[in-house]
Amino acid sequence: MLSKNELEKILEAALAEGGDFADIFLEKKITTAIGCEDNKIERVNTGIDIGAGVRVINGSATSYAYTNDLSLHSLLQIANVASRAAKSGLRTRPIKVHKKLPHFDFDVELPPDKVPVSDKVGQVEQANKAARGVDEKIKQVTVGYGDTIQDVVIANSLGVFVEDRRIRTRFVVNSVASDAGQVQTGYEAFGGTEGYEIFKTHSSEEIGETASRRAISLLQADPAPAGKMPVVMAAEAGGTMVHEACGHGLEADLVQKKLSVYSGKLEQNVASPLVTVVDDATIKGKYGTMRFDDEGNHGRKKVLIDGGVLKDYMYDYLTSEKDHRESTGNGRRESFREKPIPRMTNTYIAPGKEDPEKIIKETKKGLLVRKMGGGQVNTTNGDFVFDVAEGYLIEEGEIKKMVRGATLTGNGPEALVQVDRVGRDLGFAIGTCGKDGQGAPVSDAQPTIRIKELIVGGTAHEKSAEKKGIKRL
Amino acid sequence: MSEINLQKIGEKVLQKASSLGVSSAEVFISRSRDLFVEVSNQQVETMKLAEEQGLSIRIFHNSQIGFVYSSDFSDSALDQMVSQAIANARSTARDEYYLLPPKPAEKYPELDLFDGDIPRVPVEEKIALAKDIEHRARKFDSRVKITERCAYSDSSYEVAVFNSLGVSGMYQGAYCGASAFLVAEEDGDSQTGFGFQYKLKYRELDPEFIAVEAAQKAVRMLGAKSINTKNMVAVIDPYVATNFLGLLAHSLSAESVQKGKSRLAGRLKEEIISPLISIIDDGSKPGGIMSAPFDGEGVPCRKNVLINKGVLTGFLYNTYTAAKEGKDSTGNGVRGSYKSTPEVGTTNFYIENGTFPKDRLLNQIREGIYITDVLGMHTANPISGDFSLGAAGILIEKGELTKPVRGIAIAGNIFDLFNNVDAVGSDLTFFVGKGSPTLRISEMTVSGN
Repeated sequence: MLSKNELEKILEAALAEGGDFADIFLEKKITTAIGCEDNKIERVNTGIDIGAGVRVINGSATSYAYTNDLSLHSLLQIANVASRAAKSGLRTRPIKVHKKLPHFDFDVELPPDKVPVSDKVGQVEQANKAARGVDEKIKQVTVGYGDTIQDVVIANSLGVFVEDRRIRTRFVVNSVASDAGQVQTGYEAFGGTEGYEIFKTHSSEEIGETASRRAISLLQADPAPAGKMPVVMAAEAGGTMVHEACGHGLEADLVQKKLSVYSGKLEQNVASPLVTVVDDATIKGKYGTMRFDDEGNHGRKKVLIDGGVLKDYMYDYLTSEKDHRESTGNGRRESFREKPIPRMTNTYIAPGKEDPEKIIKETKKGLLVRKMGGGQVNTTNGDFVFDVAEGYLIEEGEIKKMVRGATLTGNGPEALVQVDRVGRDLGFAIGTCGKDGQGAPVSDAQPTIRIKELIVGGTAHEKSAEKKGIKRL
Repeated sequence: MSEINLQKIGEKVLQKASSLGVSSAEVFISRSRDLFVEVSNQQVETMKLAEEQGLSIRIFHNSQIGFVYSSDFSDSALDQMVSQAIANARSTARDEYYLLPPKPAEKYPELDLFDGDIPRVPVEEKIALAKDIEHRARKFDSRVKITERCAYSDSSYEVAVFNSLGVSGMYQGAYCGASAFLVAEEDGDSQTGFGFQYKLKYRELDPEFIAVEAAQKAVRMLGAKSINTKNMVAVIDPYVATNFLGLLAHSLSAESVQKGKSRLAGRLKEEIISPLISIIDDGSKPGGIMSAPFDGEGVPCRKNVLINKGVLTGFLYNTYTAAKEGKDSTGNGVRGSYKSTPEVGTTNFYIENGTFPKDRLLNQIREGIYITDVLGMHTANPISGDFSLGAAGILIEKGELTKPVRGIAIAGNIFDLFNNVDAVGSDLTFFVGKGSPTLRISEMTVSGN
């Protein structure tokens, strides 16, 4: 998009008034979104998002300016705006940037721009048909297909120059089932740092059927119980728990501001010895995978908690400078409109040694979570919550009735200390993680694990007859 | 930011579409200049300045619809966009209701949306305002020890809609906001608190209000503990109430109704919730942060009473959903930005003020909980209305707020919740586009130990 020489000029202009560091992030993102609802293709939308942001860091202060206009003139102008934050007057030496190569690579077999729209529409239609075919109680199905091709150029005053293309594809089905005044929904999705070849390993029909079956079985489910109880989370449940219970609290910006319960706890026990937590940007094809982060650092694998001991946090450039160390390659931004902040990539609890079935068999009474929904955390006190999209009661080691409407509430460090069983399996789920108003594609995973006690927020102990009575809707 | 420019761009696009045999097309254009300042410990941590522009095109052709967006206004880009939009339309299903608004409006509501102070006041003064908020919050209570951030932000913008049927609307607006996110510490416990305001007028921002709100929220939660599981009376503060109101919005959209995703379908004129509650959406509300002369399709914004004293009186419509029912759009074709299509959405959406001062809502309660924060609202089911949330608040004993509570979960159904409202406060407060007074709920399931 710009020559090396032009990038150097812009960086020099950004540091014209002094400052410790400057970078530029140029982006061109092409998005295709296809939506089907009410049994018809409602939208085929395409968009091009183009822009660049220039950042100047002076001490702990960041100034940032961005524009949609990628002409050299306009970029020099925003560099000039950003430069005004620094007032040391110390002019830096001329800047020379050098191309940086990735540590690993992955080929996208079928780039989305090389695939006809009609093929993508076909996948959406297949999923819709399959989802509607599950049961006549399926009243509505929404299918969403999306792909993005993001070309970025990143350069900074330390000499880094990176050009990268990120391709992501995702596919989502939401089914609504209704019967006798009851309405339930089921959701299933997949996505990855892949092109259209993702449909070779994932079937759009299967996703549609799974979403619908979940909605249908929820119609028969009992309200979830309320109160404290043991909880077994199956591997296929996904990693919302690890994401919320400790992931966010291990992001260095929150740690440094003492907005995390994990602040100042390096080398301390923060979880059961059975728990190892890893953030790994290098797993082929996963939704949070990246060759480079949005500051031009290599994506990498980090062990954050090792056998219950806190080993590392996730850093971007600014936080790593504060701690006098290297960035861990976790500096990410939603677009050129935002400054980078420390973010997760693919985060998981490492598999243990146990047979997952045995963990359920040896649980007398509790809740089995087969699919997690969304979640949220207050990192300052560690309280988190997440939604159970598919849950069952466990009685005497057997999986019993399905329950609906459960939310699990807990406290990060308290919950991780109480992990007493860890299976040898591992299951991933994708999501868009939100922080400071910025969304980032991530995946999370965990093996089958058991937590001795979590608060289940259900409605079952209400006087259920009376409740049905007033439920007129 | 000159207006002539936008008009020209709009005309170019419509001409291009027409030359390709497309008789119905629409262009939406926005341009803005934004500032964001964040301070911590009286130092500027982040200052962000931005200029942004973008446009999107909708093509209506052969009962099909195509959409594209871009930030590139060059002639070649515009030509390419029109062609791409036509190509996209070919892959969509035919639907006779894909239509432009039937005719241009005779007039748009006159609103005072542009306060010249917002772009005029120097950045230094705005930084000082953010610092002032932090200073006042720290002064309020010495236990307020960490500033996550105190921020000021503003935006001055221009919006335009043009279509082939003669709609040609443009307006200029500005808004500003300030916020504080703080942490209070005591005996090893840390609790967060926040306060924020968004205003159409710079001089209406009140640093003291924001500071005290945030500091008070943080300090009063220090030492919070869980309680035992039980059913109790709940009082929900306006912010939390607007969260629940947002969940209800889904059911009041004509799109949800038409797609079988609203439990309010077919229930017009019935009493659906407590007669103490009236719910209104008003895109022409004076001073409303979401107010505008017209929506994302050039349809005039107006006041729509959706629930009147518990009785369902209407739904929200954009042009498509209105055409389907042979009705007029209610002016609720809302676009998040130029990158999105005009979908049914809310503007200034609120629960009408009640009559009870907050202390009177509390003083009749023997045992209850005042809910000040919920976690995980986005996990609630907008269709069934079922929710199960993490929550925090303050215990109410004999009419008084006593001990802080956290680590609890509340569960129920949104329709039951609004049906069980037995008193409405007189303290209607807006949080950006949603507003509510304090609400008292006769019964709620609270899960704890």
